[in-house]
Amino acid sequence: MVDSRTVIFFVAVAAFLVVMATIAVRSYRRASKSSNRDWEHLLKRLQLVDRGSIAEVALDIIDESGQQRKDEGSATLEPEQIWKLVGGLKGLEVLKANCEVLIDLASYVQQWYPEALVVAEQLRLGAREIEFHVDRLKGAERTGKLKSAFAMYAQPAVGKYYLMTRRLLALYEERNLPMLADLQKAL
Amino acid sequence: MHLTGLDLLFWAAGFGAHLTLLSVLLIRRRFRQFPIFTAFIFTNVLRTIVLYFTESLGTKATYFYTFWLLGILDMLLQISVVYEMYALTFRPLGAWARDTRPAFKWLAMSTVGVAAALTWLAAPHARLWMQVVVIKGNFFSSVLMTELFVGMIALSVKAGLPWKTHVARISQGLGLYSAVDVLVEAGHSYFGVGHGVHIYTTLSQVRMSAYLVCVGYWIVMLWREAPAAREMPERVLGQLNELKSAVDSDLERIRVRK
Repeated sequence: MVDSRTVIFFVAVAAFLVVMATIAVRSYRRASKSSNRDWEHLLKRLQLVDRGSIAEVALDIIDESGQQRKDEGSATLEPEQIWKLVGGLKGLEVLKANCEVLIDLASYVQQWYPEALVVAEQLRLGAREIEFHVDRLKGAERTGKLKSAFAMYAQPAVGKYYLMTRRLLALYEERNLPMLADLQKAL
Repeated sequence: MHLTGLDLLFWAAGFGAHLTLLSVLLIRRRFRQFPIFTAFIFTNVLRTIVLYFTESLGTKATYFYTFWLLGILDMLLQISVVYEMYALTFRPLGAWARDTRPAFKWLAMSTVGVAAALTWLAAPHARLWMQVVVIKGNFFSSVLMTELFVGMIALSVKAGLPWKTHVARISQGLGLYSAVDVLVEAGHSYFGVGHGVHIYTTLSQVRMSAYLVCVGYWIVMLWREAPAAREMPERVLGQLNELKSAVDSDLERIRVRK
């Protein structure tokens, strides 16, 4: 006769192994998704955003060159307006997803081009930090403190995204790369 | 202690497999990259020799204590191998990546917590307290090792830190073996030694078979060379540098606004 403690033990062991297998399989899938692709394919994963809205939010605090605006007309957008223009948390999710692309690009470089390890690691750390800021906003949303946190983190994060994508496009344009048209659509 | 033909076969196979793997590590000079893993394999070779002579020449008590002392050493070396794999993955520039440090604390606490909780649930059928300690100890270590390797996979993917080819192969082997060992040790706990030594021995043979497969996998994978690094096209290097400067300057702005 099997006692209840033994049943609980085996159920717990089975649950443990299922959880471990799930985490491992999901992680492997994500890792192979990044490592099996080439550089251009990774760039293609950048997600579509509303360029006009992103620019409006970003240019409220920075100028086209990326410098912080200090004139009287700067930082005039209210948190509610920013929320609407960014597309709320969904919009920030896109920003986070694009940071994940940066992390994958860094990982790809570390894996295949060890001579660029230092640059890739710095890029990876930077993208991880931006991702962390977006996660803070998501955390604030869960605890009901989104309004105050949004004003503090969302606009600079959007500004960062704006600059990052502009520079990426400029880079492609400047070098006359064939991916430019696709990138313009995506960004 | 009476050893059957199958016991001797496992013994010889384990010794041969470890010796072959040790030769691979030395011939291919992998010991430079994996000194702890090499020490772990070397200790296993030594352990088999010591136990063989202790069994032949010593008393039952001497064999018992030697077996378990070497078992503890084996466990400590396995944990050290985990450390070596973590260090090779999460220290790309020679220091622990700063974004992964908080996750390590969380991982250490949660893995030990889960392993302890599962071990507490286990109620081995055994006559002596020492047998209970041994069964529970083995179960705890197998759960812990499984968690540490799965945690390593998840954390490296999340952080975007790729595994070096041979690190991945060693980790996969030890991680999968640990998962099989969780099932074997759960069986040991359920059947204990109360139903006779037969089931306990059969389960141990299943575990040893899984381990032999794992060592075989290491022999093949560590003999093979890792894929050669590619030459970075100037275009990609340029893009990378541009992206890095963009992220750096944007981060500065975010930090200022914080």
